[in-house]
Amino acid sequence: MKVQVKNLRKEFGQTVAVDDISFSFDSGHIFGFVGPNGAGKTTTMRIISTIEEPTRGDVLLNGISVCEELELARRAVGYVPDTLPAHADITVHEYLDFFARAYGLKGKKRTQAVEAIEEFTNVVGIREKHLKALSKGMKQRVSLGRALVYDPDVLVLDEPAAGLDPRARVELRELLILLAERRKAILISSHILTELTEICNGVVIIERGKILETGTIEEVLKKSAPRRTVAIRLLEGNSHQNPQLLRELLQTPFVENAREVTNEIHFELTGDEAAACDILGSLIAKKFKIIEFRQTKANLEDIFMNVTKGGVQ
Amino acid sequence: MSAKLASLKSHFAHWREWELNPIVIKELRQGVRSWAVTGMLMLFLVVLFLTSLGYLISESFDLGANLQLGGQMFSAFVVILAGASVFFIPLYTGIRVAAERQENNLDLLYVSTLSPARIIRGKFLCSAYLVLLFFSACMPFMAFTNLLRGIDLPTVFFILAFLFLIVCATNMVAIFLACLPLSRPFKFLFVLYGIVQSAVIIAPLVAYALELMRSGVGAMMAGRDFWIGTLTVVGVGVAVTGLFFVLSVALVSPLSANRALPVRIYLTAFWLLGGWLSVWWVVQSSNAGRILFWTYPTLGAVVLALLVTVSSSDQLSLRVRRKIPAARLWRPLAFLFFNGAAGGLVWLAGIFVVTALMTLTIMSTFPGGPMSVDDRRTYLTLAMYAFAYALTALFLQRNFLPRRPSKLTGLIAILLAGGWALAPAIFLFFANRLSWKSVEGLQLGNVFNVLYSRDTSQLIWHEYFACGWLILVVALNVKWFLRQLKNFRPADNAVPPQGVGAEK
Repeated sequence: MKVQVKNLRKEFGQTVAVDDISFSFDSGHIFGFVGPNGAGKTTTMRIISTIEEPTRGDVLLNGISVCEELELARRAVGYVPDTLPAHADITVHEYLDFFARAYGLKGKKRTQAVEAIEEFTNVVGIREKHLKALSKGMKQRVSLGRALVYDPDVLVLDEPAAGLDPRARVELRELLILLAERRKAILISSHILTELTEICNGVVIIERGKILETGTIEEVLKKSAPRRTVAIRLLEGNSHQNPQLLRELLQTPFVENAREVTNEIHFELTGDEAAACDILGSLIAKKFKIIEFRQTKANLEDIFMNVTKGGVQ
Repeated sequence: MSAKLASLKSHFAHWREWELNPIVIKELRQGVRSWAVTGMLMLFLVVLFLTSLGYLISESFDLGANLQLGGQMFSAFVVILAGASVFFIPLYTGIRVAAERQENNLDLLYVSTLSPARIIRGKFLCSAYLVLLFFSACMPFMAFTNLLRGIDLPTVFFILAFLFLIVCATNMVAIFLACLPLSRPFKFLFVLYGIVQSAVIIAPLVAYALELMRSGVGAMMAGRDFWIGTLTVVGVGVAVTGLFFVLSVALVSPLSANRALPVRIYLTAFWLLGGWLSVWWVVQSSNAGRILFWTYPTLGAVVLALLVTVSSSDQLSLRVRRKIPAARLWRPLAFLFFNGAAGGLVWLAGIFVVTALMTLTIMSTFPGGPMSVDDRRTYLTLAMYAFAYALTALFLQRNFLPRRPSKLTGLIAILLAGGWALAPAIFLFFANRLSWKSVEGLQLGNVFNVLYSRDTSQLIWHEYFACGWLILVVALNVKWFLRQLKNFRPADNAVPPQGVGAEK
């Protein structure tokens, strides 16, 4: 299954929520969708899931257009919203059974599918509980179960980890890895970027409806490799040298964005490793008592902070 | 056609695998678990029990035999049943659908593979089952009244069937109102309106039921007129329910679907059937005036449809464009019935012109006519004003507010008509010259002035003004209309939507 987002544009009145974006991902991949609030992530995800219609452009799910072949596209995609719609007076089992029926599963096949999903998402113990009585983490499991009950090839998850405790987050991450192993194409948006780095194969960074970076995690990290962050710690009792060190660094070539972070000096190195070596040598020569000089590899969070400006439409 | 037949054949061949509509199962499961339904049902039973007890205890003090006790108790039960079912079930159904349709909490069932028609049918069937639940709870009490005399069984069943039809129709209206894409405050206003409207429905409903009890349905069943009247009411009830069903389906259909097609086909069929029945009635009764039962409701429907039609988008989705017939012979017909304001306007103009011509012909051919000059003028003027306001709003929205959604056009038309009607009164009020006489003076362009003016000589000025205004706005919209006509062609011949192309 190949998901191709092609020149997608969505306008709400005069606001352009999504502005001509294109990217693609395949089955077996977990694709991260990152951006500040109001960047257009949810709108894009809702278009892929056939909830919204694009103003222009299209999304192809193995060649099936979400605009033209709505019914076929709906069979191929499962959508997990950030919150499960409030359903009163219905149990977990009834809810999953209803969606299995809604997607045309009949008789024994439906019973088996619902039981399998209950087991997979580990909701067997709460199947007779009312939806409204569930915790956020459990609701998220049910929501995932609902999206999986008809075995779609594409899974779109909008902030599934929001509001979950660390344990529930780890469990969700494990479920997603399992699903990717089952050849599902997964698009996930999250603000917990460290987690995305761990599970995603690829990433799209979006702001003001436009794509800023896209590619595999390695590609994106490689692109920002010249901007490694370096942390310097002075020998204990020498922190009074920090302002002087900061001034010194600001005048040094290949150094950008030098700042003090919890008794350390951090800066972005725009040069290569030889440049780092020169900087260290010159600082020691200037009698700074350096006890630690370490380079930290840029992660998704750093890249996100670098490429986005925090703007919304 | 053969594919459809084959699919139908296969459907019936696999009857063992048939399953209930999933929506019905879900809704009924939710219904029986809900405190609202169980609480209301318990309250209903308690009220019925206490009412029976009250009647029987009060009657036990009376020494003489009351041969009308059954009828009296039944009347009380009808009032309770009508109250419970007309007030509660449509309200419950409407609130449930509205909650699922909340803009920021779109229920995921609307993005399942269930068709919009199946969703609405499920909601409607569930509400009908709830009505049956309440009716069956009432049934033992009503059967008991038959034993006490004063009412015959045909009357009991007829009244119940009549009530059932009314409640089902109100349920469908409630579903339609809940499907309207409105914000929460507006929906709340609709709930209030629904409660008031229920009270308005209940009074004549109960009065009619009591009248039926008084005359006795059993005695009337032998008469032809009784069946004509009954079938007419049932026919109108079913047709109205069907209309709201089609409208609700259109509302929950995706924007890219051909939402206008089923609605316009249904309305056209409804209009044709109504026309045919009215002509038949004219012929049977030799009274040309009967045609007006078709003429005036058609005008009302055209005015409402105008507001919706001008609010349609000019952009046809790819899905719709792919369905436009390639054959030039069928394309004009598709233009009238497919999505789009231009085709809709021609469709409505066609319906109005045919209705007007048919009415005038019938009026001049059959006894009981012709229509008076004033009535004819009022009718034509109102229609011309409606088209003129709608087309003016269309011109303003398309030319001066193109960035605003086209769904505002209907609202603009209402504001124009309302504003123009109110403006003179406001001016007169501030000039301290507002009086009934001043309001009744000639106010060209004021629709209400046509209806309420006592001086019928003013009608001719309204007629000329409306005609001139209509010609002007038609001329202003010609360019837009021709553009819509030109764009109405199958997707294959059309330029693909901008932006589709190479991936980044």
